Amino acid sequence: MTNTYILVPGSAPTGGLMPIAAQFGGTTTLVVIGDRSQAEAAAESGADRVVWFPTGSDEPAEAFASAVARLVASEPGPVLAGRDPASRVLLGAAAAALGAPVIVGAREVNAVADGYRVTAEVFGGIALRTTEVDGPVALLVDGGATVDGCPPAPVIEQPVVGLPIAQLSLQVDKGAVAHLGSAARVVAVGRGLRSQDDLSLVKELATALGAELGCTRPLAEGLDWLGRDRYIGISGQQIAPELYLALGISGQLQHIAGARRADVIVAVNTDEKAPIVAEADYLLVGDLYDVVPALTSAMGATP
Amino acid sequence: MIVAVAYKWAGDAQDAVVRTDGTVDFTRAKAVVSDYDAVAIAVGRKAADALGAELVGICVGGPDAATPMATKSALSRGLDRVVVSAEPGLGGSGPTRTALALADLVKGLGDVAVVFAGDSSIDLGAKMVPAVLGGALGWPTLTDVAGIEVVGAQTRVVRTLGAGVQELKVALPAVLAVATDAAALKAPGMKDVMAAARKPVAKIEVTELGPEGDIVTTAPLDGPARRGIKIDCSDPVSAANQLIESLRADGVLTPAGGRR
Amino acid sequence: MDFQLTDEQTMIRDAVRQFAEAEVAPMAAEIDREHRTPLEIIPRLAEQGLLGMFVPAEYGGAALDQLSYIIAVEELARVCATTSVMVEAHNSLAVWPILAYGTDAQKEALLPAMAAGEAMGAFGLTEPGAGTDVAAMTSTARPVDDGYILNGQKVFITGGGYAKTFVVFAKTTSEGPAHRQISAFIVDRDTAGFSVGEGERKMGIRASSTPPLMFSDVYLPKDALLGREGQGFEIAMKTLDGGRIGIAAQGLGIAQGAFEASVDYANQRVQFGRPIGSLQAIQWILADMSTDIEAGRLLTDRAAWLEGNGEPHAKAAAQAKLFCGQLASRVAGQAIQVHGGNGYTEAYPVERAYRDAKITEIYEGTNEVQRLVIAKQVLTERRVGA
Repeated sequence: MTNTYILVPGSAPTGGLMPIAAQFGGTTTLVVIGDRSQAEAAAESGADRVVWFPTGSDEPAEAFASAVARLVASEPGPVLAGRDPASRVLLGAAAAALGAPVIVGAREVNAVADGYRVTAEVFGGIALRTTEVDGPVALLVDGGATVDGCPPAPVIEQPVVGLPIAQLSLQVDKGAVAHLGSAARVVAVGRGLRSQDDLSLVKELATALGAELGCTRPLAEGLDWLGRDRYIGISGQQIAPELYLALGISGQLQHIAGARRADVIVAVNTDEKAPIVAEADYLLVGDLYDVVPALTSAMGATP
Repeated sequence: MIVAVAYKWAGDAQDAVVRTDGTVDFTRAKAVVSDYDAVAIAVGRKAADALGAELVGICVGGPDAATPMATKSALSRGLDRVVVSAEPGLGGSGPTRTALALADLVKGLGDVAVVFAGDSSIDLGAKMVPAVLGGALGWPTLTDVAGIEVVGAQTRVVRTLGAGVQELKVALPAVLAVATDAAALKAPGMKDVMAAARKPVAKIEVTELGPEGDIVTTAPLDGPARRGIKIDCSDPVSAANQLIESLRADGVLTPAGGRR
Repeated sequence: MDFQLTDEQTMIRDAVRQFAEAEVAPMAAEIDREHRTPLEIIPRLAEQGLLGMFVPAEYGGAALDQLSYIIAVEELARVCATTSVMVEAHNSLAVWPILAYGTDAQKEALLPAMAAGEAMGAFGLTEPGAGTDVAAMTSTARPVDDGYILNGQKVFITGGGYAKTFVVFAKTTSEGPAHRQISAFIVDRDTAGFSVGEGERKMGIRASSTPPLMFSDVYLPKDALLGREGQGFEIAMKTLDGGRIGIAAQGLGIAQGAFEASVDYANQRVQFGRPIGSLQAIQWILADMSTDIEAGRLLTDRAAWLEGNGEPHAKAAAQAKLFCGQLASRVAGQAIQVHGGNGYTEAYPVERAYRDAKITEIYEGTNEVQRLVIAKQVLTERRVGA
């Protein structure tokens, strides 16, 4: 019978992983790398058993990549993990140990003759790709929410010596980090903006809308006008706000894949043939230098 | 001692276009050593100099990856030499096949102290190649690395996670995937460009390709249906008012942030 | 026939473009507005290898071919004409003659510092009464025991405000044909009796330093002589032949920048409910601009190729400079036309391009001098051919 592993560094959520694991059939093992309370919490998320690698206070979950690899190799099966940095490292070690292809963004799994057929989102949700794998597979899936309240599964404690990595310090930063991911509204700007000074125009609108400021990659990486934590795209932030305002953004794949899950998209662009047009609920063909101040004052006038 | 940097030679995702069938067209995307990898090379150069080590670029990819333009571009970024495995089966391959081929190159190099990789370029945002590579080598592996200080066999690593700034120590050898801002990106100098042609390039044949799924179908995935409502902009003020009215009607302008 | 750039040339274009956009473009408008020479860019130019492009590796240079050099100059001019002329004057007018005519001792003493940007170079030829008419110069370098005594004045000396190593021309005799009376000298800025005046405020390339130089009984040792006595006119002319290709590239770069700004503007600017780029009136202008630039680039690339391959190139260089200088002015003017009223303001870079372009029709030989060079050649070629 198939046993599917879900890798859980610390208190990583498993809500998005459990349903995919269920599609493999058989049993589900949560591999928790963390402290006792984290292992016990995970035991209530509906899995059949929990294997717990206790961590020292200064040991990051990544130190247990080899332990995870040995565990899954002892009884091979599909492995799932979320998108956070530690989950990726653990999943990578498992994939290497199993010789398993990694598939990112899996949405659906079906058993076929001698393996699995996995359907996954590619390029940030622009397309669905179906892949057949004839052995174990490693899936990177959105973690989703935390699951609890299920009858507790048995917790098997497995003390092991981790890889030589140790945390020296952790400074929790509450500074001016961009919170694009959780923002309800995002105003983003692209190459249609002619100079860094003109950012003030866009910032004023963002303030009027109560929105976070975002941008395309060239503004963050080439021009350095905004921080790299503010650019939206496949390789940057992938966001799903209620409102996404794209100002002077042509809407290349690299960018739009990061904003496609917004509820409402507004595009302000001078080029009515730009790719962004097909992605917009509202399209204003015009110069952002005319439209943006008008929007800002319209918002100010009607609070 | 060797410091290795895994880089890829591929079309810039910036210029990729999605076809109507859901596949992605990279033909108009110029092949480059991406900025992410250039950052990894810059970080590697610093670490190699600190360790008195040689800086070796390792690359796996399709036949393009071994063209003089590809290897010289990478070398002009400051590598001492390049080792490349290039063949059709490695072009556009997934994280596991790519990383296992890279692991073979690392093993072939011998005395490697650390492998750097760009954070997200190698597999177009999947960020999995460094993880599988670290697993294949059985070495400590960290991603999102923003700063590195090498002191003997220990490396102090700073990384920025969602929660804040974490400082760690890692025993070498290790695999470190660097964040996009781990080093300032500089254009290669003229001397670097001219020197690149004189640096050694070794091509390594791959005896066995790593596992890879077979792609059965690809289909476009429509996002939420978009309404495509055009608002006339000849008068910006009335266009602005009309848009804000519509957004209010959609319920996305409520002061508290609405539905979430 | 091969129109393909080499790998190195392609990489140099990409690298200089990346550097220019990241570090030069952001300051271009400000230094123009303030008439401020951006001395802070010199170490960065050196780090990129842009100050020793012809210099052999043993002297710390990048040892580039001529075509790579003009590609680099064009890329700089595309974002900032001032920076391109700083680089062009240093490489073409100061480093090149030392490389071509200097003794091993002179090269060893001077080139490493020049390539490293520690000693910028300048070219002192033009005088108040001797611009195009070089032979009319009145500066003298009177031979004395163990050296020369230099007296005279030079004007419009690019880089004069910050250069350390000057290539200066003066008459060492009043005997014989005028062009045989001139010799070239290497003069260090810190030599007694040598002073640098205040630069003019110019219409374009405003941030480029172009002050007058004054020489009052400046003693120069024998080894300050570059080449032979009486060889100065030849050195000046050969230097300018190469320099002209650099100016052609500069004109091209200015035109290219103005053209790209115009295409972007045409795609963005909406009138009558659509981008102005969809209007045929604008399309025709853009088509002409593009064609002009491509033609100029062919002339320039070929002149550089001839020079790089040791072929006679005086005519090709003059033709490239004549054509590209004129096209720079023409294209920049068209760019303003595409931009309409906006283009006439400092808010858009084409206004600066228009002012910067004009000098490429004037310095390192006016349009008229280029025609003179070309005409002399074609008349001779016809005679030889017949």
